[in-house]
Amino acid sequence: MSAITNSPLTSAVVGDQMTPLARTVTQEQINAYADASGDHNPIHVDPEFARAVGLPGTIAHGFLEMAILTEAVARWAGGYERVGEVSCRFSKPLLPGETVTCTGHVVTVDDSNGTAALELEATSSSGDRVLTNGRATVRLAR
Amino acid sequence: MPDQSHVGRRYEANGQVVDGAGARAFAQAIAGSDEVYAASVVPPTYAAVYCLFPTLYQLFGDAEVGVSLAGLVHGEQSFTWPNPVRSGDVVDATAVIASVEDKRGMTFLGIDHEAHRQDGETVCRGHSLMIIR
Repeated sequence: MSAITNSPLTSAVVGDQMTPLARTVTQEQINAYADASGDHNPIHVDPEFARAVGLPGTIAHGFLEMAILTEAVARWAGGYERVGEVSCRFSKPLLPGETVTCTGHVVTVDDSNGTAALELEATSSSGDRVLTNGRATVRLAR
Repeated sequence: MPDQSHVGRRYEANGQVVDGAGARAFAQAIAGSDEVYAASVVPPTYAAVYCLFPTLYQLFGDAEVGVSLAGLVHGEQSFTWPNPVRSGDVVDATAVIASVEDKRGMTFLGIDHEAHRQDGETVCRGHSLMIIR
């Protein structure tokens, strides 16, 4: 794992790749997220319930994946305070034990207000695109 | 089931205290077994806790709108963070039903979110798309 604090990003060029972030999400982590967020929907924490509603088992919270995606953007931009916007579509479920990998690249740079926009995606280790249509805006340091 | 007549319905959750211990537990849950990133900062997506859930649960409990939780899927989410939120901040959150559309036998519910700090500055804007099957 890279250093916890990196220097703020001062410039970006269209096509720049965000440093990818990969994290293996365990059921223990999903349970911790359920407790910390207050979202105890049984599809995330109760395997029997999840199978009864047609899922292969419990699935991670989409918001947990989005939080990891936001962390990836913050690590690349040099801090959470640099992240102005994040959006995504929850396309496929992420299952416990799978690794989610967040990637992205710069699509526009606005020099007048010092921001860069990225397109983002997250894929699971089983090959599913779990988060799609991802977008973020970061504030460049000046 | 939600329909056009519910567009504009507003839910408020005022006086939410951003709890430092809660935000740290949230940051730890994002990290899993990895080292927590920026442990002294409230993670931006903690907005789920101080902005979205307190108003969404009111919406889901609104019998006149009648959202069926059994068939509910979170389809899309966007967040904008114009200003940071810090532990100890007191936040007023609102949610407004922005759109209701029936497509392919499903109902798509669009919800606008906003949260302000005690000094009146906006700390979060959001849009949720919920799909009811």
